[in-house]
Amino acid sequence: MAREATRRGVLAAALALPLAAGGCKGIGALGTPPRPLPDVAVVREAITDETLMIARYTAVLAAAPALAGSLRPLLGQHQAHLARLKARLVDPRAGSEPPLSRPHPQVPGTPAAARAYLRGAEQAAAQALMGRLTAASPSLAQLLASIAASEATHALLLGPHRRTG
Amino acid sequence: MNASPSAGAAGTSGTTAGPGTQPAGRRARAAAIGALQAALAAEHAAVYGYGVAGAHLAGTRQAAAIRYWAAGQAARDTLAAMVVSRGATPVAASTGYRLPFAVHGEQSAIALAAFLEDRVTAAYLTLVALTDTKLRLFGARGMQTAALRAAWWRGQTLAFPGLEVPAPGPVAAGAGGGQPSPGQSATGGTSPTSPPTGPAGG
Repeated sequence: MAREATRRGVLAAALALPLAAGGCKGIGALGTPPRPLPDVAVVREAITDETLMIARYTAVLAAAPALAGSLRPLLGQHQAHLARLKARLVDPRAGSEPPLSRPHPQVPGTPAAARAYLRGAEQAAAQALMGRLTAASPSLAQLLASIAASEATHALLLGPHRRTG
Repeated sequence: MNASPSAGAAGTSGTTAGPGTQPAGRRARAAAIGALQAALAAEHAAVYGYGVAGAHLAGTRQAAAIRYWAAGQAARDTLAAMVVSRGATPVAASTGYRLPFAVHGEQSAIALAAFLEDRVTAAYLTLVALTDTKLRLFGARGMQTAALRAAWWRGQTLAFPGLEVPAPGPVAAGAGGGQPSPGQSATGGTSPTSPPTGPAGG
Protein backbone atom coordinates (compact mmCIF):
# COMPACT_ATOMS: atom_id res chain seq x y z
CA MET A 1 0.00 0.00 0.00
CA ALA A 2 2.64 2.40 1.05
CA ARG A 3 4.67 1.61 -2.01
CA GLU A 4 1.65 2.19 -4.23
CA ALA A 5 1.01 5.51 -2.66
CA THR A 6 4.59 6.50 -3.20
CA ARG A 7 4.42 5.41 -6.84
CA ARG A 8 1.30 7.49 -7.31
CA GLY A 9 3.07 10.47 -5.83
CA VAL A 10 6.00 10.10 -8.19
CA LEU A 11 3.60 9.81 -11.12
CA ALA A 12 1.85 12.99 -10.13
CA ALA A 13 5.15 14.75 -9.83
CA ALA A 14 6.23 13.48 -13.25
CA LEU A 15 3.01 14.79 -14.79
CA ALA A 16 3.36 18.16 -13.14
CA LEU A 17 6.90 18.68 -14.39
CA PRO A 18 6.14 18.99 -18.15
CA LEU A 19 3.32 21.35 -17.32
CA ALA A 20 5.72 23.65 -15.55
CA ALA A 21 8.41 23.29 -18.21
CA GLY A 22 5.89 23.83 -20.99
CA GLY A 23 5.22 27.39 -19.98
CA CYS A 24 2.09 26.78 -17.96
CA LYS A 25 2.43 29.20 -15.11
CA GLY A 26 0.05 27.37 -12.80
CA ILE A 27 0.22 28.57 -9.23
CA GLY A 28 3.43 30.41 -10.05
CA ALA A 29 1.31 33.08 -11.71
CA LEU A 30 0.15 34.10 -8.25
CA GLY A 31 3.62 35.37 -7.53
CA THR A 32 6.67 34.24 -5.62
CA PRO A 33 5.69 31.76 -2.93
CA PRO A 34 6.29 33.17 0.56
CA ARG A 35 9.55 32.18 2.13
CA PRO A 36 9.67 31.17 5.75
CA LEU A 37 10.26 34.43 7.57
CA PRO A 38 13.17 34.91 9.94
CA ASP A 39 10.84 37.12 11.96
CA VAL A 40 10.02 34.47 14.54
CA ALA A 41 13.61 34.30 15.75
CA VAL A 42 13.89 38.10 15.81
CA VAL A 43 10.63 38.45 17.73
CA ARG A 44 11.69 35.83 20.27
CA GLU A 45 14.97 37.69 20.93
CA ALA A 46 13.10 40.96 21.34
CA ILE A 47 10.62 39.28 23.71
CA THR A 48 13.49 37.96 25.83
CA ASP A 49 15.00 41.45 26.05
CA GLU A 50 11.68 43.10 26.91
CA THR A 51 11.00 40.49 29.58
CA LEU A 52 14.39 41.17 31.13
CA MET A 53 13.76 44.91 31.02
CA ILE A 54 10.46 44.47 32.85
CA ALA A 55 12.25 42.34 35.45
CA ARG A 56 14.80 45.13 35.92
CA TYR A 57 12.11 47.76 36.47
CA THR A 58 10.24 45.48 38.84
CA ALA A 59 13.41 44.85 40.85
CA VAL A 60 14.27 48.56 40.99
CA LEU A 61 10.74 49.45 42.08
CA ALA A 62 11.00 46.89 44.88
CA ALA A 63 14.37 48.29 45.99
CA ALA A 64 13.50 51.99 45.58
CA PRO A 65 9.72 52.55 45.88
CA ALA A 66 10.29 56.32 45.89
CA LEU A 67 10.93 56.10 42.15
CA ALA A 68 7.47 54.70 41.42
CA GLY A 69 6.08 58.01 40.14
CA SER A 70 8.66 58.32 37.39
CA LEU A 71 9.23 54.63 36.65
CA ARG A 72 5.72 53.20 36.51
CA PRO A 73 4.80 54.95 33.23
CA LEU A 74 7.98 53.62 31.64
CA LEU A 75 7.32 50.12 32.96
CA GLY A 76 3.79 50.31 31.54
CA GLN A 77 5.25 51.13 28.13
CA HIS A 78 7.58 48.15 28.31
CA GLN A 79 4.59 45.96 29.09
CA ALA A 80 2.88 47.40 26.01
CA HIS A 81 6.01 46.60 23.96
CA LEU A 82 5.99 43.03 25.22
CA ALA A 83 2.29 42.56 24.45
CA ARG A 84 2.73 43.89 20.93
CA LEU A 85 5.74 41.64 20.31
CA LYS A 86 3.92 38.57 21.64
CA ALA A 87 0.98 39.34 19.35
CA ARG A 88 3.39 38.81 16.47
CA LEU A 89 3.74 35.14 17.31
CA VAL A 90 1.02 32.75 16.26
CA ASP A 91 2.92 29.87 17.82
CA PRO A 92 0.86 28.64 20.77
CA ARG A 93 4.07 27.80 22.64
CA ALA A 94 4.71 31.53 22.90
CA GLY A 95 2.55 31.74 26.00
CA SER A 96 4.48 29.05 27.81
CA GLU A 97 8.00 30.36 27.43
CA PRO A 98 10.44 28.99 29.98
CA PRO A 99 11.07 31.57 32.66
CA LEU A 100 14.25 33.57 32.45
CA SER A 101 17.26 32.14 34.17
CA ARG A 102 17.65 35.43 36.06
CA PRO A 103 14.14 36.69 36.75
CA HIS A 104 15.35 38.93 39.59
CA PRO A 105 18.32 40.95 38.42
CA GLN A 106 20.58 42.51 41.02
CA VAL A 107 19.94 46.24 40.98
CA PRO A 108 21.53 49.21 42.76
CA GLY A 109 19.82 50.28 45.96
CA THR A 110 20.05 54.05 45.79
CA PRO A 111 17.59 55.95 43.57
CA ALA A 112 20.28 57.79 41.62
CA ALA A 113 22.24 54.63 40.91
CA ALA A 114 19.07 52.75 40.02
CA ARG A 115 18.10 55.41 37.50
CA ALA A 116 21.57 55.30 35.96
CA TYR A 117 21.35 51.51 35.82
CA LEU A 118 18.00 51.61 34.01
CA ARG A 119 19.24 54.36 31.72
CA GLY A 120 22.15 52.19 30.62
CA ALA A 121 19.85 49.22 30.13
CA GLU A 122 17.46 51.28 28.00
CA GLN A 123 20.29 52.53 25.81
CA ALA A 124 21.62 49.01 25.33
CA ALA A 125 18.14 47.68 24.53
CA ALA A 126 17.59 50.38 21.91
CA GLN A 127 20.94 49.57 20.33
CA ALA A 128 20.15 45.84 20.30
CA LEU A 129 16.88 46.51 18.48
CA MET A 130 18.65 48.67 15.92
CA GLY A 131 20.95 45.73 15.27
CA ARG A 132 17.96 43.51 14.52
CA LEU A 133 16.25 45.85 12.06
CA THR A 134 17.84 44.52 8.92
CA ALA A 135 16.88 40.90 9.69
CA ALA A 136 13.21 41.76 10.08
CA SER A 137 10.33 42.02 7.62
CA PRO A 138 9.23 45.59 6.83
CA SER A 139 6.34 45.73 9.29
CA LEU A 140 8.30 44.06 12.09
CA ALA A 141 11.20 46.45 11.41
CA GLN A 142 8.79 49.35 11.94
CA LEU A 143 7.63 47.93 15.26
CA LEU A 144 11.21 47.32 16.41
CA ALA A 145 12.29 50.82 15.33
CA SER A 146 9.36 52.33 17.20
CA ILE A 147 10.20 50.38 20.36
CA ALA A 148 13.87 51.38 19.99
CA ALA A 149 12.82 55.03 19.75
CA SER A 150 10.62 54.60 22.83
CA GLU A 151 13.50 53.09 24.79
CA ALA A 152 15.83 55.88 23.68
CA THR A 153 13.33 58.39 25.08
CA HIS A 154 13.15 56.42 28.33
CA ALA A 155 16.92 56.78 28.62
CA LEU A 156 16.50 60.53 28.09
CA LEU A 157 13.99 60.85 30.90
CA LEU A 158 16.12 58.71 33.20
CA GLY A 159 19.07 61.03 32.66
CA PRO A 160 20.39 63.54 35.16
CA HIS A 161 17.76 66.16 35.84
CA ARG A 162 17.43 69.29 37.88
CA ARG A 163 16.89 68.69 41.54
CA THR A 164 14.21 70.87 43.04
CA GLY A 165 15.18 71.09 46.67
CA MET B 1 23.53 71.43 -0.14
CA ASN B 2 25.88 69.24 1.74
CA ALA B 3 24.68 65.77 2.49
CA SER B 4 25.67 64.50 5.90
CA PRO B 5 27.87 61.40 6.16
CA SER B 6 24.80 59.30 6.90
CA ALA B 7 23.09 60.58 3.77
CA GLY B 8 26.10 59.75 1.67
CA ALA B 9 26.12 56.23 3.05
CA ALA B 10 22.43 55.85 2.34
CA GLY B 11 22.65 57.18 -1.20
CA THR B 12 23.89 53.96 -2.73
CA SER B 13 21.80 54.08 -5.88
CA GLY B 14 23.12 57.39 -7.07
CA THR B 15 24.02 56.22 -10.57
CA THR B 16 21.55 56.87 -13.37
CA ALA B 17 21.75 53.46 -15.05
CA GLY B 18 21.54 50.07 -13.43
CA PRO B 19 19.02 48.87 -10.90
CA GLY B 20 16.29 51.09 -12.28
CA THR B 21 16.10 49.09 -15.47
CA GLN B 22 14.51 46.13 -13.69
CA PRO B 23 10.88 46.37 -12.61
CA ALA B 24 11.72 45.27 -9.05
CA GLY B 25 14.58 47.76 -8.85
CA ARG B 26 12.34 50.47 -10.23
CA ARG B 27 9.65 49.70 -7.70
CA ALA B 28 12.17 49.76 -4.85
CA ARG B 29 13.53 53.08 -6.04
CA ALA B 30 10.04 54.56 -6.36
CA ALA B 31 9.26 53.40 -2.81
CA ALA B 32 12.51 54.92 -1.54
CA ILE B 33 11.78 58.22 -3.27
CA GLY B 34 8.24 58.30 -1.90
CA ALA B 35 9.42 57.68 1.65
CA LEU B 36 12.22 60.25 1.36
CA GLN B 37 9.77 62.82 -0.01
CA ALA B 38 7.38 62.18 2.90
CA ALA B 39 10.22 62.72 5.39
CA LEU B 40 11.27 65.85 3.50
CA ALA B 41 7.71 67.21 3.59
CA ALA B 42 7.56 66.59 7.35
CA GLU B 43 10.87 68.42 7.86
CA HIS B 44 9.57 71.34 5.77
CA ALA B 45 6.53 71.54 8.05
CA ALA B 46 8.71 71.29 11.17
CA VAL B 47 10.96 74.13 10.02
CA TYR B 48 7.88 76.29 9.46
CA GLY B 49 6.30 75.24 12.75
CA TYR B 50 9.42 75.90 14.81
CA GLY B 51 9.42 79.42 13.41
CA VAL B 52 5.94 79.87 14.87
CA ALA B 53 6.66 78.08 18.15
CA GLY B 54 9.97 79.84 18.75
CA ALA B 55 8.25 83.24 18.71
CA HIS B 56 6.20 82.23 21.77
CA LEU B 57 9.04 80.71 23.79
CA ALA B 58 11.83 82.09 25.93
CA GLY B 59 15.04 80.97 27.55
CA THR B 60 16.02 77.30 27.29
CA ARG B 61 12.90 76.46 25.33
CA GLN B 62 13.44 79.16 22.75
CA ALA B 63 17.08 78.10 22.40
CA ALA B 64 15.91 74.54 21.79
CA ALA B 65 13.35 75.71 19.22
CA ILE B 66 16.04 77.64 17.36
CA ARG B 67 18.41 74.68 17.46
CA TYR B 68 15.76 72.25 16.21
CA TRP B 69 14.68 74.74 13.54
CA ALA B 70 18.27 74.75 12.25
CA ALA B 71 18.51 70.96 12.56
CA GLY B 72 15.33 70.66 10.51
CA GLN B 73 16.90 72.75 7.78
CA ALA B 74 19.97 70.52 7.74
CA ALA B 75 17.81 67.38 7.63
CA ARG B 76 15.83 68.94 4.79
CA ASP B 77 19.03 69.48 2.79
CA THR B 78 20.15 65.92 3.46
CA LEU B 79 16.83 64.46 2.35
CA ALA B 80 16.63 66.69 -0.73
CA ALA B 81 20.10 65.52 -1.78
CA MET B 82 19.03 61.91 -1.34
CA VAL B 83 15.95 62.50 -3.52
CA VAL B 84 18.06 64.20 -6.20
CA SER B 85 20.57 61.34 -6.19
CA ARG B 86 17.68 59.03 -7.12
CA GLY B 87 16.73 61.15 -10.12
CA ALA B 88 13.67 62.88 -8.63
CA THR B 89 12.80 66.46 -7.81
CA PRO B 90 12.55 67.17 -4.07
CA VAL B 91 9.16 68.36 -2.85
CA ALA B 92 9.12 72.06 -2.10
CA ALA B 93 7.92 73.66 1.10
CA SER B 94 4.40 75.05 1.10
CA THR B 95 4.07 78.80 1.31
CA GLY B 96 2.03 78.35 4.48
CA TYR B 97 0.86 75.58 6.77
CA ARG B 98 -2.38 75.23 8.66
CA LEU B 99 -1.51 74.77 12.32
CA PRO B 100 -3.33 71.96 14.16
CA PHE B 101 -4.44 74.47 16.80
CA ALA B 102 -4.00 78.14 17.57
CA VAL B 103 -0.64 79.04 19.08
CA HIS B 104 -0.93 81.98 21.43
CA GLY B 105 1.49 81.27 24.23
CA GLU B 106 4.11 79.08 25.75
CA GLN B 107 2.01 75.98 26.41
CA SER B 108 0.51 75.85 22.93
CA ALA B 109 3.96 76.51 21.43
CA ILE B 110 5.36 73.52 23.34
CA ALA B 111 2.39 71.41 22.21
CA LEU B 112 3.05 72.46 18.62
CA ALA B 113 6.72 71.49 18.89
CA ALA B 114 5.77 68.04 20.24
CA PHE B 115 3.20 67.66 17.46
CA LEU B 116 5.77 68.55 14.79
CA GLU B 117 8.24 66.00 16.11
CA ASP B 118 5.54 63.32 16.29
CA ARG B 119 4.82 63.92 12.61
CA VAL B 120 8.50 63.81 11.68
CA THR B 121 8.86 60.54 13.62
CA ALA B 122 5.93 59.02 11.72
CA ALA B 123 7.38 60.17 8.39
CA TYR B 124 10.76 58.54 9.07
CA LEU B 125 8.95 55.35 10.05
CA THR B 126 8.01 54.92 6.37
CA LEU B 127 11.70 54.65 5.51
CA VAL B 128 12.08 51.78 7.98
CA ALA B 129 9.75 49.63 5.84
CA LEU B 130 12.09 49.82 2.83
CA THR B 131 14.20 46.84 1.83
CA ASP B 132 17.31 48.99 1.39
CA THR B 133 19.04 48.34 4.72
CA LYS B 134 20.94 51.63 4.75
CA LEU B 135 17.74 53.63 4.24
CA ARG B 136 16.04 51.48 6.87
CA LEU B 137 18.69 52.36 9.45
CA PHE B 138 18.73 55.98 8.34
CA GLY B 139 14.96 56.07 8.93
CA ALA B 140 15.26 54.42 12.34
CA ARG B 141 17.91 56.94 13.43
CA GLY B 142 15.74 59.80 12.16
CA MET B 143 12.84 58.41 14.19
CA GLN B 144 14.93 58.36 17.35
CA THR B 145 16.14 61.90 16.89
CA ALA B 146 12.60 63.21 16.44
CA ALA B 147 11.15 61.03 19.20
CA LEU B 148 13.79 62.30 21.65
CA ARG B 149 12.86 65.88 20.87
CA ALA B 150 9.15 65.12 21.19
CA ALA B 151 9.78 63.49 24.58
CA TRP B 152 11.79 66.48 25.72
CA TRP B 153 9.05 68.91 24.75
CA ARG B 154 6.34 66.74 26.23
CA GLY B 155 8.23 65.67 29.35
CA GLN B 156 6.74 62.23 28.75
CA THR B 157 7.48 59.28 26.55
CA LEU B 158 5.32 57.28 24.14
CA ALA B 159 5.13 53.49 23.90
CA PHE B 160 5.14 53.50 20.11
CA PRO B 161 6.58 56.71 18.64
CA GLY B 162 5.74 57.06 14.97
CA LEU B 163 3.39 54.09 14.99
CA GLU B 164 0.82 55.65 17.28
CA VAL B 165 0.77 59.39 16.92
CA PRO B 166 -1.15 61.16 19.68
CA ALA B 167 -3.85 63.63 18.74
CA PRO B 168 -2.60 67.21 18.69
CA GLY B 169 -3.31 68.97 21.93
CA PRO B 170 -1.94 70.35 25.16
CA VAL B 171 1.03 68.69 26.81
CA ALA B 172 1.56 68.22 30.53
CA ALA B 173 2.52 71.29 32.49
CA GLY B 174 6.22 71.37 33.19
CA ALA B 175 7.18 69.87 29.86
CA GLY B 176 10.01 71.10 27.72
CA GLY B 177 12.90 72.14 29.82
CA GLY B 178 13.12 70.33 33.08
CA GLN B 179 10.87 72.12 35.48
CA PRO B 180 8.49 69.46 36.72
CA SER B 181 5.59 71.16 38.37
CA PRO B 182 4.05 70.01 41.62
CA GLY B 183 1.28 67.51 41.17
CA GLN B 184 2.59 66.21 37.87
CA SER B 185 4.95 63.61 39.26
CA ALA B 186 2.56 60.73 38.60
CA THR B 187 2.55 61.31 34.86
CA GLY B 188 6.16 60.39 34.31
CA GLY B 189 7.03 63.98 33.55
CA THR B 190 10.51 64.16 34.99
CA SER B 191 11.97 66.32 32.29
CA PRO B 192 15.67 66.34 31.66
CA THR B 193 17.44 69.67 31.79
CA SER B 194 19.35 69.42 28.54
CA PRO B 195 17.54 69.06 25.23
CA PRO B 196 18.53 65.93 23.31
CA THR B 197 20.84 66.23 20.36
CA GLY B 198 20.59 62.82 18.71
CA PRO B 199 19.92 59.12 19.02
CA ALA B 200 21.07 57.51 22.25
CA GLY B 201 24.22 55.49 21.93
CA GLY B 202 25.25 57.19 18.68
